[in-house]
Amino acid sequence: MATGRTLWERIFWSWRPESSREAGDAIVRNFLLHWFPAKVLRESLSFRYSLWLGTIAAVLFVLLTGTGVILMFLYVPSVERAYASVKDIEYVVSFGWFVRSLHRIAAHAMVAVVFLHMMRVFLTGAYKNGVAADQNRPLNWIIGILLLLATLLLSFTGYLLPWDQLAYWAITVGTSIATAAPWIGDDIRFVLLGGHEIAQNALLRFYVLHCFVLPTAVLLLFSWHMWRVRKDGGLACADRLAREHRREWTTPIRSKTYSLLGIARGRTVHVEVAAIHEEEQMVPASPVLVRRLFLVALGTIVATSLLALMIRAPLEEPANPSVTPNPAKAPWYFLWLQELVALTTVRIGTYTLNGAFVGGVLIPGLLILWSAIWPYLDRSSTASVGVWFPTERRRQNLVFLLIVAGILVLIVTGTLRGPYWEFYWPWEPWPEIPRRF
Amino acid sequence: MRKAKSLHPSASPSERSVANSLEAEAGSAPTRRLFLKRMGLGAVLIGLFGHVLAWVRSLFPNVLYEEPRRIKIGRPEDFAEGGTFLEERRLFVFRERNTFYAISATCTHLGCTVKMIHLPQPKRVQIGGRVREERYEFHCPCHGSKYYGDGTNYAGPAPRPLVWYKLEVAPEDGQLVVNLDEIVGQDFRLTV
Repeated sequence: MATGRTLWERIFWSWRPESSREAGDAIVRNFLLHWFPAKVLRESLSFRYSLWLGTIAAVLFVLLTGTGVILMFLYVPSVERAYASVKDIEYVVSFGWFVRSLHRIAAHAMVAVVFLHMMRVFLTGAYKNGVAADQNRPLNWIIGILLLLATLLLSFTGYLLPWDQLAYWAITVGTSIATAAPWIGDDIRFVLLGGHEIAQNALLRFYVLHCFVLPTAVLLLFSWHMWRVRKDGGLACADRLAREHRREWTTPIRSKTYSLLGIARGRTVHVEVAAIHEEEQMVPASPVLVRRLFLVALGTIVATSLLALMIRAPLEEPANPSVTPNPAKAPWYFLWLQELVALTTVRIGTYTLNGAFVGGVLIPGLLILWSAIWPYLDRSSTASVGVWFPTERRRQNLVFLLIVAGILVLIVTGTLRGPYWEFYWPWEPWPEIPRRF
Repeated sequence: MRKAKSLHPSASPSERSVANSLEAEAGSAPTRRLFLKRMGLGAVLIGLFGHVLAWVRSLFPNVLYEEPRRIKIGRPEDFAEGGTFLEERRLFVFRERNTFYAISATCTHLGCTVKMIHLPQPKRVQIGGRVREERYEFHCPCHGSKYYGDGTNYAGPAPRPLVWYKLEVAPEDGQLVVNLDEIVGQDFRLTV
């Protein structure tokens, strides 16, 4: 073999490119780069179009996996030792507090970023099929909803593990909401807790769900999500460019193949893409995409690390089934649900509909169902694919934003609740409440 | 969904014969091959279903190492007049001279533990036609449900009154026994 190769080249390259064409080939042949297309549309790398929210969510997931594995080495999922091991992580283990704090901040951030990503996709109509063949973006939108639900379940299951008062009562409320599901509610709670009480079985089940089942589900769904993005011809802004170019040229759209840029032989792996991507619109994935990816990852890690340094993860008193903290509040991303379950108990004559069912099962269920089928009901034209706030979709964007605003209002209302569910402004002190009966 | 692919005119004879045999297999009279194929597939599916069933069933525990549901809570004379909160059982036990009754402290909305609030001065309330003098109430810290002293819900999201449990006297040592599996009405009184 050729001499004078660096260690880097010997490990990662079997051959090195000498032309632009060979460079595209090289990306496909490189182990670390082969999951990128050889060339990508410059527009799809724009910060202004996608805000890179999906990438940030993925980086946060990697960060959570890393810190999570460290925490798994230090945490004992048993009722007797869980709280003490978290206390040790917080006060005894070197930098344990930082790893735990980073894990918590990244988890909160991931919930927020995944939701913002969903908003971006809705507002830009990016769940809509564009002009290219064999697209199935509505399916990818549904995969995205499943990823959002998995993210929420991950944060919910992680909430129990410290086995402190915060954990215990959040799970009490959460699993009681599950019993409000019609017919199978009690069975769901029973199998989730492995019994009637939140005890050892429940802790172990939540631990396994949190550390193995749900992360695996996220990984599989994420792979499917990314694969579909590729099969759909990239981000939705590609379809917008394709349409714009079609206006300029009267000739119909030729199809071009992505992977063939890298693999010159055969036509086995080929993907129809939306646009005639003129060479000046396309940039090589390495280094342009890779550079931005690193930049976004770096920014995410810096931001979460700084926040983790400033905001310590709380650890309350050990779980005590006989004393409910006053107030007992859900984390911020579930506060709107907590408000809903408290507000929606309906009385029709002598018949009472529990708010746990209306606010905890019915309304969230309908919201999920509505968002899942919306791409199939959205009748706007392909001109609104991959465009921020198109006039054609103004009304549905407005409805979507109103729902988001409603959720935000409920979250703010929830944060203002004090003891006995009364309202207190942030500057008002809470009254002294005896802590025990 | 795509219908069965029509072959390109330039398809070779061997490709055509494969396609023909596939069509024959799909629609026509059962052959031994088809029968065996379906039997095999069915066996695999049944086997897989059995496995999944076993996995899911194993997650529903048969034995629970939880507190018993019928518990001795102490001798009647040891209870003070008025309400006593049994922290471990999440239960209020009330004594009015020689009568006893027990009310659950678990909020009927989402299962938080309600707190007993002693009113500064007694107030008279009407509950379903009956007039009752209230000296205390139950308030839930989670979502603000409120109950009268007999457990009747009157404010907040709680859908039902607090549950009353049956009290008995253990024949062997005279202790009070609460049965958490037996729910009784608000007129229940145990006279000792």
